[in-house]
Amino acid sequence: MDPLQKIYRILLLLILSYLGWIVLPFFSPLILILIFSFLLTSVFLQSVDYLEGYVKSRTLGVVAVLGLSISVGILFIGSFLNSLGMQIKTFSNKIQKDTFAIAVENLSTKIKSLLPEFFNNLVPDSDKVILMAKNFLVNIFQNVLALLGSAGNFIFIVFMVLVFTIILLIEYHDFKRSLVLFIPNKYLEIGLRTIYNVEQQISKYLRGQILAASSVAILSIIGLFILNKVGANITLVIFIGIIAGLANLIPMVGPFIGMIPAILITIMNNVGNESAFSHYIFNIIPSPFFIFDIILMFIVVQQIDNNFITPLVIGESVGLHPMIVMIVLIVGGTLMGPLGMLFAIPATGVLKVLLREIIFISKNSHLL
Amino acid sequence: MEAIYKNFFREQNNIDPILTTLERIPIFENLLKKELKNIAQLTHEREYKSNEYVFKKHAPAEGMYVILHGEIEIKDPKSGNIFANLHSGDFFGELALLDEEPRSASAICNVPSRLIGFFRTDLLTLINRYPELGNKILLNLSRVLGERLRETNKNIIKSK
Repeated sequence: MDPLQKIYRILLLLILSYLGWIVLPFFSPLILILIFSFLLTSVFLQSVDYLEGYVKSRTLGVVAVLGLSISVGILFIGSFLNSLGMQIKTFSNKIQKDTFAIAVENLSTKIKSLLPEFFNNLVPDSDKVILMAKNFLVNIFQNVLALLGSAGNFIFIVFMVLVFTIILLIEYHDFKRSLVLFIPNKYLEIGLRTIYNVEQQISKYLRGQILAASSVAILSIIGLFILNKVGANITLVIFIGIIAGLANLIPMVGPFIGMIPAILITIMNNVGNESAFSHYIFNIIPSPFFIFDIILMFIVVQQIDNNFITPLVIGESVGLHPMIVMIVLIVGGTLMGPLGMLFAIPATGVLKVLLREIIFISKNSHLL
Repeated sequence: MEAIYKNFFREQNNIDPILTTLERIPIFENLLKKELKNIAQLTHEREYKSNEYVFKKHAPAEGMYVILHGEIEIKDPKSGNIFANLHSGDFFGELALLDEEPRSASAICNVPSRLIGFFRTDLLTLINRYPELGNKILLNLSRVLGERLRETNKNIIKSK
C-alpha cells in the first residue's frame, strides 16, 4: 500500500474514533440494549435451534424458550420481593420494641468489654446503633422509592431488550447470511470461520458462566442450610444463594457481593440472641452472629468453584492469563462500572479471537 | 408498481434456481423440498469474476461450492496440472465439510461465475437445528466419499 494512503487511512480511523467517542454517550442506551440482546440471543440460540427441529416452527420455539425463562424470572423476582418485604417488616417491628433497645445496649457493652480499652471509642453507643438501624430501614425504603421512580426507564429498556432478543432469535441465521454478503470473496471462508469462532467463544463462555453460577448458588444454599442446622437462623436462604450465584458472574468482586446479604440478614435475625452472639467456630474462634462462619462458608464455596467447577465447565474457553483478567476487569470497571466488569472478560475473549484471525490473515495473505 | 405487483401477485410455483441445482447434487440427494429449502436458507450465493480464485492451494478450507453458472478449473498452481474443469451443476471442495485440512488444489474461475457456498459452520448449524436432516446429509456425504475412494482404488489397480 502507498505510504501516503496508509497515513490517510490511519488519520481517517483516528477521526472516526474521535467522532465515535463524542457521539457514544448519545447512543449508549441503544448500544447497551443491543449488547444485552445479543448476549441473551447467544444464551438461548442453541435451545431455540434445538426446539425448532422438534416443533418445526422457529417462532414457536422462541416463544416457548423465552416464555418459560420470563415466567421463571418473574416468579423468582416476585417471591423474592415478597419475602424481602416480610423480612424488612419483621425487622422493623423488632426495632420498634423496647427489647431491641435493651439487646443493642447489652451488645454494645459486651463488645466494649471484650475489646481493649483504646478500641472502646470506636464502638458506637447503643442509641447510635438503634438510630443507624432505623436509618438503614429508611434508606432501604427511600432506595425502593427511587427505584420505582426510575422503573419506567428500566422497564422500557427491559422491554426493548426483549423485543430485540425475539427479533434476533427468529432472524438470527438470516442476519448472519446478510452480514456474510458484505465479506469480499477473498476473505469469505476466513470470515465465516471468524464469525463461527466468535459465536462459539461467547456462547461457551456464557453457558459456562451460567453453569458455574448455578453451582455456586446450589453450594451456597447447601452451606447456608448447614449453618442453619447449627443455629445460624438465616432466612431467605434460597434467594441469598441465587444472589451469590448471580454475583459470581462478576469475577473477583462477585463472591464478596454474595456474602453481604447473608451477613446482613444474620445480624437482623440474631440481634438480642445471646447464644448467637457468643458463638465460636469449631469452639475456638469467636464468630458473633455466625459472621465468620458465613465468610468461611463462602470462601469454601469459592474454592470449590474456582478449583473444580469453573475449570470443568468453562475450561480453556476464554484462555486468558489471570493477570490479563485482572487488568481488563479494572479497565471495564473504570469505564462502565459493574456492567463493564461483567462484559470485560467475554469482550476480551472476542478481541482475542479477532486478533488471532487478523494475525493469521496478515501472515498468510498469499493464500487468500 | 412492479415491485408491489410482484410482491402481491407473485407466482406460487416460482422455480428457485438454487433449489433445482441443489437437488441434483448427490450430497443433497433424496431430500424433501422443505429440507432443501432449509439448506438453501443457510447457503451463500456468490459472484466471481473471470480469473478470480475461489480458493488457493494450502488455504484454510471451510466448505464446498456448487456451480450455478460458469466454469471452474481445479489445478495445481505450481505444476500447472489441471485436475478438473467443472461446469454448471458440478460441485467441489466437499471434503472440507468434514476435515480441517488446507485445500489440496486451487480453484479458479475461467469465466464470470455464480457459486453457492455451503460451509462446515452451516452443516454444524443444520445438525443443531434439524438433526434428522443433518444425518441425511452426512450419510450422503459418506456415500459420495466412499464412491470416490472406490474409484481411486480402481485407478490405482489399473495403473499397476
